[in-house]
Amino acid sequence: MIVQQIIEKAMQKAQGAQATLLTQETSSVDFENDRLKSAESSQRTQINVKVIVDGKVGNSSTTDPRDVDGVVNRALEAAEFGSPAHFELPDPQQLQEVKTFDPALLPLQKPEMIHLGQKMMDMIKAYNPEILAGAGVNKEIYRFEYANSKGASYSAEHTGFNIGAGGQLTRGTDILFAGHGVGQKKRQVDEEDIATRAIEYFRMAEKIVPVDSGEMPVIFTPGGLIALLLSLGLAVDGKNVYLGASPLRDKLGQQIADPRLSIVDDPFIEFGPNTSAFDNEGVARKVTPLIEKGVLKNFIYDLDTAGRVQTHPTGHGTTRQLTNLVIAPGETRYEDMLRGIENGLLVHEFLGLGQGNPINGEFSVNIFLGYKIEHGKVVGRVKDVMLAGNAFDAIKNIAAISQEREWISGPFAWFNGLFPYVQIGKLSVTAK
Amino acid sequence: MRDRLSEAIKSHDVEFVDIRIEDKTNSWVNFRGPDLDTIGSARTVGGIVRALWKGGWGYATFNDIDDLPRRVKEACETAKLVGRDKTYFAPTEPVVDSIKASMVKDFRNVPLAEKKALMEEYNRIMLGYHEKIQTASVRYADTFKTVWYANSDGTYIEEEKPDVNIIVIATGRDGDIVQNGFEMGGGPEGYQTIENFHENARTAAKRAVELLSAPPVRGGTYSVITDHEMTGVFTHEAFGHLSESDFVYENPQMQEIMVLGKRFGSDGLNIVDNGALDGGLGTHKYDYEGVPTRKNYLIKDGVLVGRLHSRETAAKMNEQLTGNARAVHFQHPPLVRMTNTYIEGGSAKLEDMIKDIKLGVYALKEVGGQTAMEMFTFSAGYGYMIRDGQIAELVRDVVLTGNVFDTLKNIDMIGDDVGFTPNGPGGCGKGSQHPLRVGLGGPHIRIQNCVVGGQQ
Ligand SMILES: [Zn+2]
Repeated sequence: MIVQQIIEKAMQKAQGAQATLLTQETSSVDFENDRLKSAESSQRTQINVKVIVDGKVGNSSTTDPRDVDGVVNRALEAAEFGSPAHFELPDPQQLQEVKTFDPALLPLQKPEMIHLGQKMMDMIKAYNPEILAGAGVNKEIYRFEYANSKGASYSAEHTGFNIGAGGQLTRGTDILFAGHGVGQKKRQVDEEDIATRAIEYFRMAEKIVPVDSGEMPVIFTPGGLIALLLSLGLAVDGKNVYLGASPLRDKLGQQIADPRLSIVDDPFIEFGPNTSAFDNEGVARKVTPLIEKGVLKNFIYDLDTAGRVQTHPTGHGTTRQLTNLVIAPGETRYEDMLRGIENGLLVHEFLGLGQGNPINGEFSVNIFLGYKIEHGKVVGRVKDVMLAGNAFDAIKNIAAISQEREWISGPFAWFNGLFPYVQIGKLSVTAK
Repeated sequence: MRDRLSEAIKSHDVEFVDIRIEDKTNSWVNFRGPDLDTIGSARTVGGIVRALWKGGWGYATFNDIDDLPRRVKEACETAKLVGRDKTYFAPTEPVVDSIKASMVKDFRNVPLAEKKALMEEYNRIMLGYHEKIQTASVRYADTFKTVWYANSDGTYIEEEKPDVNIIVIATGRDGDIVQNGFEMGGGPEGYQTIENFHENARTAAKRAVELLSAPPVRGGTYSVITDHEMTGVFTHEAFGHLSESDFVYENPQMQEIMVLGKRFGSDGLNIVDNGALDGGLGTHKYDYEGVPTRKNYLIKDGVLVGRLHSRETAAKMNEQLTGNARAVHFQHPPLVRMTNTYIEGGSAKLEDMIKDIKLGVYALKEVGGQTAMEMFTFSAGYGYMIRDGQIAELVRDVVLTGNVFDTLKNIDMIGDDVGFTPNGPGGCGKGSQHPLRVGLGGPHIRIQNCVVGGQQ
């Protein structure tokens, strides 16, 4: 095994070494502007190496499996000037059994993927032939291996299946984009449901309605919740906590949100989009509650950051990336949530998210896809409207959480997870 | 390599094939807080084959470049699965060319230890600047990429693409308020472009501290003046993306909106995309379909006169090639992308733009922007209120948003001072391709009735 060869080679000079190997085959089909546009086959190899020499860390990577000497030498060179190792490589660990490989995806070939895409396109065109429709179907199979000089050695086979559809509707100088998609590790998918949801976003947007500036209740769709989760994700990142940049750094165990809000990071969900048993540092993954009944429970640590603050790594890899986020359902039916609003917004997608200072919680975004609620009903789409507020204030000011939840996942999702609709008491809206 | 590529191409049985192979080495030094965060280097090799058949594309991307004929076969078979219509693909003269890097100081000859020591200096300057500086980060990255391109027309291009960039970010904190100041630099000319960055590090720290006591701008509609960086991001985001013909060529309604000859702004407004610009961040001699780049007017005297093309979109729209098919790297086929996009200089002086504004915002230093066709939003690193014709207090959280068609018409003054945004780790994103190096720039411009986001 190549990862073992790398470890052996590195340990001639290093006191610690780890290696990962990713090998991946992907096929995809892509529909654009009402037609099948392209299809692709792709092959990937990625080798990453980390070494510890005299207490200092060096990294390197290569895409060439024959470049074992080169990649090891570059890592050793980097370690000469590297940062002090605040950690030890992990010992072999007991891993949770997880479902990440669906054999049903193996026989799926491009003609059938084209058929799936075409079916969703046809549904969208049947709803409104004026929409320029698009769709994408992508299947991947990959193997991930990890080994280190402590004797830990893991490998995992994964499948992945991403499927989505949407389109663009132009009326005068107004251009509307909408769509829906899912990403998961299993073959079974309801492509009709995906197209139906995409159509629903168009249907609600048939009319454009004016909005007056002011404060109003706002419902975030499961997809729209990213506007609030983005800040939270940055603030629970252990690195930001360690550096003092997180506004939540001294709030562990404190009430930071409405007691109805519970969020857990669960890497073990069957065929979940980011399900896996170990991370790229050889740390066993585990379920990490982030917020429990409004109380902040945990931060996310990689080996290095955990070492610096003398705590344990949480199994989220070197980038401390959240896996499958699950938000507990609420008590309110979505329909009743809408019904309770006299004048407000339903927001789904944004422009300009993450600009400015997202870690502070502050957001000021253009509503890319959002709707006006009047007298308990969605009456149409809003345009040229800015939504501003603070995510940390907003989660204290939750008016309702829906019983219904939806998977938000796929290659374009900022976070993958199972999210409800969340209604915030009041937010500031600026209309032109 | 030339023989390997032409040998592999020979085996094709479709209408057009091209191959792009890349070999990249890069290194990085990142400080975050007082400590070195990561240091390392990497090598990436890979390629893409594109095959065109009856209007459909087949792609094969790979890291393993050993068996190119097999990849060509794979791409051709895939194209045949897709192609069902007529092919539109503009012809271009085949070229054979080799473009060598010319760096003043080659970063590949600078030891990693030296790079680290210099970044540490910058980091220390920021951390020691003021007691309210909570943390700082320095990200240094260099990349040396060789790209080999060949196609079934007989074109063969070998190109070396060096790039070095740096960003220094100082973070200030005062109670719950956290503010950043940052500076970027670098370029294709070599290591010397990031060697004297000490003053920039001080500037970043100074701004972070000053922004801590600056109020957020109040949301509302203002007269806005943008500096060359903000003008650049506005031009790129708000208008440039609309000029990318892949949004237009199969979309009759978009063609109506973007019909050539239509007036978009005042007589003084000229918008250009120029891939042949001397020293631009988005400069290339040829695009990734072997088409030579050139200076393309998009808006001339306020009227739409052109747009950006790939060989496919140019043929479909029966317009001239512009040399704008670009890709971030070998895992992606080229898309229609901007190169160096800017508003040409006018005649106004900055003082004259400010002097008759009663209440306005002067927005400086782009942090980023995003666009969805006619809607755009872009953020400034900082801004100043303009009150009664004078530059007044510093403000933070300046986000401009609006509709491009209204906003272009609302530009009423164009400055005489064209400048460009410095190099940095970012770039333009489109679909899944990010970050692509682009040049952004222009003069100071004044926009009337511009929406500035924020709480009221
Ligand atoms: Zn862009």
